[in-house]
Amino acid sequence: MNEAVVEAVPLTSTARTEGFTELYERTFPRVYAYVASLLRDRSAAEDVTAQAFERAYRKRRSYRPARGSMDAWVFGIARNAALDELRKRKRRAVLEGDPEDVGSPTPEDQAELAVRRETVRAALASLDGQERDLIALKFAGGLSNGEIARVLGMSESNVGTRLHRTITKLREACHD
Amino acid sequence: MTDVLTAIDDALDTGVAADEDPLTRELQELALALRDDAPEPTPVYREWLGKQVEAGFPKKRRTKPAWWQRLMSPALATGLIVLPLVAIVIVAGGGGSSDDQSLGGGGGGEAAVDAGGGSSSEGGDDGGGSAAEPALDDTLAKSEERQLSRADRGAGAAVPPSGGNFAPGRSDRRIERSIALELEMPVDEMSRVAEQVTAVTNRHGGFVLSSSLSTGEDSAGGDYELRIPANQLRAAVRDLSALADVRSQSQTGRDVTRHFVTATDRLQAARAERRSLFRRLENATTDEEAEAIRAQLDIVAAEINGLRGQLRNLRLRTNYAVVTVSLLEKNGDEGGGGAGSFDDALGDAGDLLVTVAGLIVRALAVLLPLGLIALVAWLAGRALRRRQRESALA
Repeated sequence: MNEAVVEAVPLTSTARTEGFTELYERTFPRVYAYVASLLRDRSAAEDVTAQAFERAYRKRRSYRPARGSMDAWVFGIARNAALDELRKRKRRAVLEGDPEDVGSPTPEDQAELAVRRETVRAALASLDGQERDLIALKFAGGLSNGEIARVLGMSESNVGTRLHRTITKLREACHD
Repeated sequence: MTDVLTAIDDALDTGVAADEDPLTRELQELALALRDDAPEPTPVYREWLGKQVEAGFPKKRRTKPAWWQRLMSPALATGLIVLPLVAIVIVAGGGGSSDDQSLGGGGGGEAAVDAGGGSSSEGGDDGGGSAAEPALDDTLAKSEERQLSRADRGAGAAVPPSGGNFAPGRSDRRIERSIALELEMPVDEMSRVAEQVTAVTNRHGGFVLSSSLSTGEDSAGGDYELRIPANQLRAAVRDLSALADVRSQSQTGRDVTRHFVTATDRLQAARAERRSLFRRLENATTDEEAEAIRAQLDIVAAEINGLRGQLRNLRLRTNYAVVTVSLLEKNGDEGGGGAGSFDDALGDAGDLLVTVAGLIVRALAVLLPLGLIALVAWLAGRALRRRQRESALA
């Protein structure tokens, strides 16, 4: 996935409209994975992902390469849409009550793998929202630290520090 | 920390957790697990969204206003607020600039009337009509044109009836006027202008009281003291002003109606007394009585002569305005006849630039604070929205 990020060359103004399909093909699975990880709701994730790509399509002329890669730009839009959805759900006071329906273990999974996944999910649930956001951007979204810094509006070194701290915390949570 | 992050990135790139350090390897495995556990879209959803992208996200029924409509409403509101403010500033600024022009415009059009000083001192001498003086001054200052025409009509008017009440604004007013003009021209044109000053004076029925002209290299200049009939004054000044560039012009007006009325009354009284003395002289019975009456007649005759002279002098001063024309050498006249117009054009361009700059500064004085307020509000709103959005993660 990181290869795709590295290959994400900022589009020129003439290529912006023509290259949107390529951008979509390149980022769609990762954007969906990130949004679904953040929302923990497949149905809502589908709506928000579609909404994010539509916004990106409508605003594609406003993209400025100087502000970062196009992938980071799309993830920024998706993140805003996801946070707006979270806020709506928070107002409806159903966020905590929503069941996690993201990917249940398949019967053919090996028992060890299934146990590990459940452990990781349980550990993820112990993280706070910002930590989950960071983990989702890194591992579900497949963004580099620099791109995450662009999306979150912080420095790359700060992203590295927080990422290290969070993944260490996650490892400890897995052992608990 | 950097090594661990690099190792995690390596594991994500290769898909293998192979670090020698067990702890780092464990983190690599965790990273791979997290990535492998990432949710995947269903094929149905993938296909549907792919079609949406290919179709360019066809628009549903528009519920939101167009971008220009959304832009127009705040722009319109801002315009409605800003435009009246700008108009007020411009109007206020325009008033200020016109004041400046009237104060500094020595060479402008018709000069302001300086009637206050002369009129007030005259009123003090007579001791009467003090209530009328402020009104007189005010009238003189406010309606110069009206007064000129009245003076023109009143120049040959009959003397007010004896004992009649005097009031400002009456058509039989007597106003003594004097105008000073400073004309500037190149030295080589001075003689021609001097001749034309005399010609203009003669053409309007006036005369030259005194004149001096010098056209030497060191000190060129001239002074003319003219008498112009009051009813020809405006036309004569206009013609004189057209002879050369007017550097400055000043005008004074003094109402002497009271003097005229007083002298006329006293003259009529003296004449009546003289007639009475004549009658008494005819009826005188003794030489002594006749001698005494003759002595009184001499006194009255002297008084009548004095009053006649006074009236003649007043008529002369009010029927003829004093016009002083000073001919001055124009400085920096290298370009001949065309240079003046070019200088004028430069001056006009400079004035225009100053005016435009003034308007811009005034407009900026309004728009800049408003813009700053709008910018601060926009930044604050943006930060607030961001904070509210981030609060969803809390």
